[in-house]
Amino acid sequence: MKRSLWFTLFVAAFLITGCAKKSIEIEAPQGSATTQEQATEVSEGEGIKSVGEMSEESMSQEEKLRQMKMIESQAKKIYFDFDKYDIRPDQMPRVEYDAQLFNKPEAKPFGIKVEGNCDEWGTDEYNYALGLKRAKSVRDALAARGVDPKRMSIISYGESNPVCTEHTKECWAKNRRVEFELIP
Amino acid sequence: MRSLILLVCITFSLLASDLTLEIVKDVGNLPKIAIEASPQSLTGKIGQKFSKLLLGDLQVTSHFSANPTIGYAKLSDPIDFSRYKDVAYLLRYKLFYDDFGNLQAKAILYDTKTAQPLFQKLYRLKERERYPFIAHKIVYDLNEALHFPDVSFLKSFVIFAKYIGPKRSDIVLSDYTLTYQKTIVHGGLNIFPKWADKEQRSFYYTDMQGRPTLYKVDIYKGVRTKILSGEGMLVCSDVSEDGSKLLLTMAPNAQPDIYEYNIHTHALRRVTKYPGIDVNGNYIENETRVAFVSDRLGNPTIFAKRIGSRAVERIVYHGKNNSALNSFGHYIVYSSRETDNAFGQNTFNLYLTSTTSDYIRRLTANGVNIFPRFSSDGETVLFIKEFRRQTALGVIRLKYNKSYIFPLYTGKIQSIDW
Repeated sequence: MKRSLWFTLFVAAFLITGCAKKSIEIEAPQGSATTQEQATEVSEGEGIKSVGEMSEESMSQEEKLRQMKMIESQAKKIYFDFDKYDIRPDQMPRVEYDAQLFNKPEAKPFGIKVEGNCDEWGTDEYNYALGLKRAKSVRDALAARGVDPKRMSIISYGESNPVCTEHTKECWAKNRRVEFELIP
Repeated sequence: MRSLILLVCITFSLLASDLTLEIVKDVGNLPKIAIEASPQSLTGKIGQKFSKLLLGDLQVTSHFSANPTIGYAKLSDPIDFSRYKDVAYLLRYKLFYDDFGNLQAKAILYDTKTAQPLFQKLYRLKERERYPFIAHKIVYDLNEALHFPDVSFLKSFVIFAKYIGPKRSDIVLSDYTLTYQKTIVHGGLNIFPKWADKEQRSFYYTDMQGRPTLYKVDIYKGVRTKILSGEGMLVCSDVSEDGSKLLLTMAPNAQPDIYEYNIHTHALRRVTKYPGIDVNGNYIENETRVAFVSDRLGNPTIFAKRIGSRAVERIVYHGKNNSALNSFGHYIVYSSRETDNAFGQNTFNLYLTSTTSDYIRRLTANGVNIFPRFSSDGETVLFIKEFRRQTALGVIRLKYNKSYIFPLYTGKIQSIDW
């Protein structure tokens, strides 16, 4: 047993000393030893971070905006006769519909901007006043149908906001309108 | 023989009482003027436009009959008398850049009978874009040199708002021909610019972003000052002679009425109280009364009232729709819709009337004539004409019974003042 242990140690010592360490020499490229070029640090793109998860607040803002746009798209425009600001009888069902829409619980948190618009035929201040009176007629009609007047503000855009720019009677009729924008 | 003499006498008396016929006679006697450009003068876009501006300005003065063909000659060349037998004056000019890149113009006015220069001047401009003002100044100066009635309106600025998209319009400063244009206010819906002083150093306008807000802009300092804001509508319609009071159209309860605002004391006084539409207030008769547009009779037309009194007087008794006016002294110029076609072309003509007499005169004959504005001396009216889908700038010289139309390429104008 003792002899076999000595034999094993002898073989192990032979193996360790017998495997001479090989040194590998790599030829250095010419010139590198004389001038070492300074590397330019490329910092572009460093430290860029992606935006983290949306906060709950911004999520709810986005949801609010989406809901506002959805209600806005459902609202019906109210059309007017040439040079007139009283609501035509055929437009009353549309006013009723808008009043119901704005009285829905999901619409109640929002304010309503009632925007009066005109065709291209009026000029100067009178056209802006006509748009304002149209907006006022619709606001009063909505208020009479239960929409809180405090939620509503009115503005006139005169002829500045046409939905149709062709010079046809159909186009002018489309532009003589009141439409709505919801505000938070 | 006696009856022949009587006929001649009657004819002359009729001619004497008819102002228009007398004016036609005067027009035929206007002194003729020719223009010659130096061959060394600029020939590009600026050069071509410059000669057209000179020609247009000379015509608009109504003091000359301008030869429509531009000749060419050096400033020092002898005058070709055979060419200008029936021409009273010859204007020679040279438009060029100096060594520093400034635009310069040398102008000489000759009396063709004596070949003597009546006037000569050198003009210089740093910003070449303002070249129309050199042309206007040359014509203004030569008119002065010949002692003809004042034509200061040539040098006046015009300020206007033009639509550039839905709910978007810019406020632009220009010369009276709208050739030079510089945007002063950009972004959002900026409407109804109105000069704040006679010197044209500042103007009021309404910013429609959010609540309508009236601002005053100093064009030389580039400073904007908030004056007032209100619900629904707020427009500065007129400014008093000394600039201390404004006539505003306001709608505090969605009810457009005319108010007078004192910019020193900030006092606001309601001038009209009517549940319909009252807009476009303009001072008349030494600012003791206000002329305005109202729909009291179902259609918009022109009324007047004394400030502080309840009585309202109707001024205009014709037209389906008289929705815009401008005033000077006791004169009112207004746009009247002559046709009542909701579904087709309508004709809007301009009329001149007086608040102190039954005087009325039609100023245009066809098309859509809108935005009439008196010059600061009240002798000239500027307006926009739309005819067969083409827009033009119109200038009416009231004293001379003459009207001039220039094509316009500015897009849709919202409002204009000069």
